[in-house]
Amino acid sequence: MFKDNFNLAYKNIKERMSRSILTLLGIAIGIMAIISLMGIGEGMNVAVEGELSSLSDTIIVTVGEGFSIFSFGQLEDTGEYLTERDITDLERISGVKEVNTQLTGMASLSFNGDGNNVMVTVTGMDIESMNLQYGLADLAEGNLLELGDQSKILIGYDVAHDYFDNDISIGSRVKINGKKFFVNGIFSRQGMGGVSTNDDLVLLTSRDFEKATGESNIYSATVTVYNVNEVESTALEIERVINENHGEEDFASATSMSSILDSIQSIMGILQTVLIAIASIALIVASIGIMNTMLTSVMERTREIGIMKAIGATNKDIMSIFIIEGLLLSIIGGASGIILGIFGSSGVATLLSNMGPGGGPPLVPVITFLAIALGLSVSMIVGIISSLYPAWKAAKMSPIEAVRYE
Amino acid sequence: MSKEVIVTKNLSKTYGKGDLQVHALRKTNISIMQGDYIAIKGPSGSGKSTLMNLIGCLDKPTTGKLYIDNTDVYTLSENNLAKIRREKIGFIFQKYNLIPTLSALENVTLSMGFAGVDSKTRIRKAKKLLDMVELSHRISHKPSELSGGEQQRVAISRALGNDPTIVLGDEPTGNVDTKSGNKIMDILENINNQGETVIVVTHDPNIAKRARRILSIEDGVVREENV
Repeated sequence: MFKDNFNLAYKNIKERMSRSILTLLGIAIGIMAIISLMGIGEGMNVAVEGELSSLSDTIIVTVGEGFSIFSFGQLEDTGEYLTERDITDLERISGVKEVNTQLTGMASLSFNGDGNNVMVTVTGMDIESMNLQYGLADLAEGNLLELGDQSKILIGYDVAHDYFDNDISIGSRVKINGKKFFVNGIFSRQGMGGVSTNDDLVLLTSRDFEKATGESNIYSATVTVYNVNEVESTALEIERVINENHGEEDFASATSMSSILDSIQSIMGILQTVLIAIASIALIVASIGIMNTMLTSVMERTREIGIMKAIGATNKDIMSIFIIEGLLLSIIGGASGIILGIFGSSGVATLLSNMGPGGGPPLVPVITFLAIALGLSVSMIVGIISSLYPAWKAAKMSPIEAVRYE
Repeated sequence: MSKEVIVTKNLSKTYGKGDLQVHALRKTNISIMQGDYIAIKGPSGSGKSTLMNLIGCLDKPTTGKLYIDNTDVYTLSENNLAKIRREKIGFIFQKYNLIPTLSALENVTLSMGFAGVDSKTRIRKAKKLLDMVELSHRISHKPSELSGGEQQRVAISRALGNDPTIVLGDEPTGNVDTKSGNKIMDILENINNQGETVIVVTHDPNIAKRARRILSIEDGVVREENV
C-alpha cells in the first residue's frame, strides 16, 4: 500500500514539476544554510583545536592582564617584568616540569646600512623554548636556530618584506642596536586569520637578546606541567606565588592553553547557534511554502480525492498520500540542500580566508555525519509537519461533495 | 430464491432548512435482489442521483436506513464505510472520474490497491478486465489520451476490480455518443448476466428499457414501473 501511495504522490509531484521544484528550493536553501554554517563552524573548531590542543599542558605567565583571545598576537610591553626570583619560584612549584622565559624589549633594526632604522619589538628565548613553540613548518624559508648558534635571528614575514625598501632574505645581514646578526629563517605569512601572528616577530636567543639590548627583561614565561589535569590548579598557584613576590594583587596572570581553548569554543558555540537560528528562519519560511503548495494541491485535487474515497480509499490512505508527497518534496529538497551546503561551505570558507588583511591560513569546512543527519531529519520533520494540516483537510472531505467539485 | 442485497427503510434526504427546504428524496422503501438489473429514471432534479449516491455510500441520509448485505451501513465508522465502498460497490460516474495522472491500467489497479490486493494479482486482474472492455491495447494511456467512451470503459473495469456485490452507474452513457453508449450498456448487461447486481441511473427511456426493473422518481418519490 505504501508503494501505491508513494507512486500517487510521486506522479503528482511530477505533474506539477515547476511548482514542486520551487517548493523544494525553499527547503534546499534552508538546509544549505544550516549545513554550510555548521561546516564552517566545525572547520574553525578543528583549526583552533589543532593549533592549541597540542599545548594543553602549557601555561603562559605574563605581566599584567595577561593572555586572552582578545589580546592574542603581539603582546604589549608594559615596562614591568618578571624577575629571576619569580622564575626560580616557579620552578619550585610542584607539578611544574619546565619553565621557559621570553625576553621582550624595543630595539632599532637596520638593514643594508641604508640608515633607515626601524624600532621593533625583539623577543629573546632559550633554544629549547623556541623549539617548543615553533616548528620548521612555521618557516617559509631557512632554518630554526640550534643550540650554540650565535648572532642568528628569525624574522617575521612583514619584517622581511615590508619594513625596508629591499626584501630581507636568508643569510642577509641586519643590525640590531648596531650589532650584526644574520637572518637564519623567515616565518610564513599568517595575516589576521591565525591564532597568534609571527609577522612582526624578531626572534633571537636569550643570550643574543642580552648582547643586543643589554637588558634581560623577562616579559613572559612558558610553564609546562607533568599532569594535564593539574593545569588549572597550577596556574592559580603560579599567580599566587608571583603576586606575593611583587606584593601586588594583579601583577601577573597565568593562563592555560586549555582555558583559552574553552573560551574560544564557547564563543564559537554562541556564534554558531546564532547563525543556525537565522538559518532556521529560512526553514520556517520553506515549511510555510510546502504547506501552501500542499494546500493548493489539495484544493486542485478535491475531485480526485473524492474519486479515491468513492472507490474505497480510507481517510488514512488519503492522509498518507499527501504526507508522503510533503515528505518527498522535503527529502529531495533537503538532500539537494546538503549537497549545495557542502559546496557552499567551501565557497564561504574561501571567501572568509581571503577576507583577512593578511590572507590568513586556509579555512577547511568540516561536514560531519551529524550535520548531514541533522539536515535530513530536519527536512523530514518540516515535510511531515507542513503536510499534516493539508493532508488532514483532504482526508476529511466528504466524498460526494468532492466528486461534485468542478 | 436469491437474497436481498439492498434494502432501504424510510430513506430520505433533505437539503436546506426552513422555507428553503428541498426534499430530494422522500421516505423511500425499496428492496433490491441479488442479480437484479435496475434502471432508475426520472427528469433532472427528481432525486435519482441522490438515491444513487446514498446507495453508493457516498452521501448520508437525513433520516432512514440503508442495508447492504444486511449491514446497517450508516451506523458504520468512516473506515468501515470505506471498506463497504471498495468491497461491495463498484461506482461508475457520468464523467468517468479517472485519476488524470494515472494510466488506464493504474486507474484500474487503484481500487484493488486500497483493498490491499498484492500488486501482481492486481495487474493480472486489471489486464483481464481491460481486455473484457476491449481496451487491452490502451492500458498505458492516460485518461486525456482516451475518448469518452474508452474512459468510461476504463471506469467500468475499475468498478469491477474488487468483485463488488453491486455495480452502480450514474448516467454512465450520459457523456458519450450513442454507439459508445450502446457498447457500455452491452458490457453492463453482460456483467448482469454473470450474476452481478446492476443499477443504472438514466433519463434515457431507451436505456431504461433494457433493464429488468424500472424505478421512476419524481419529486423525491420512488415508484416501481411495470416493465
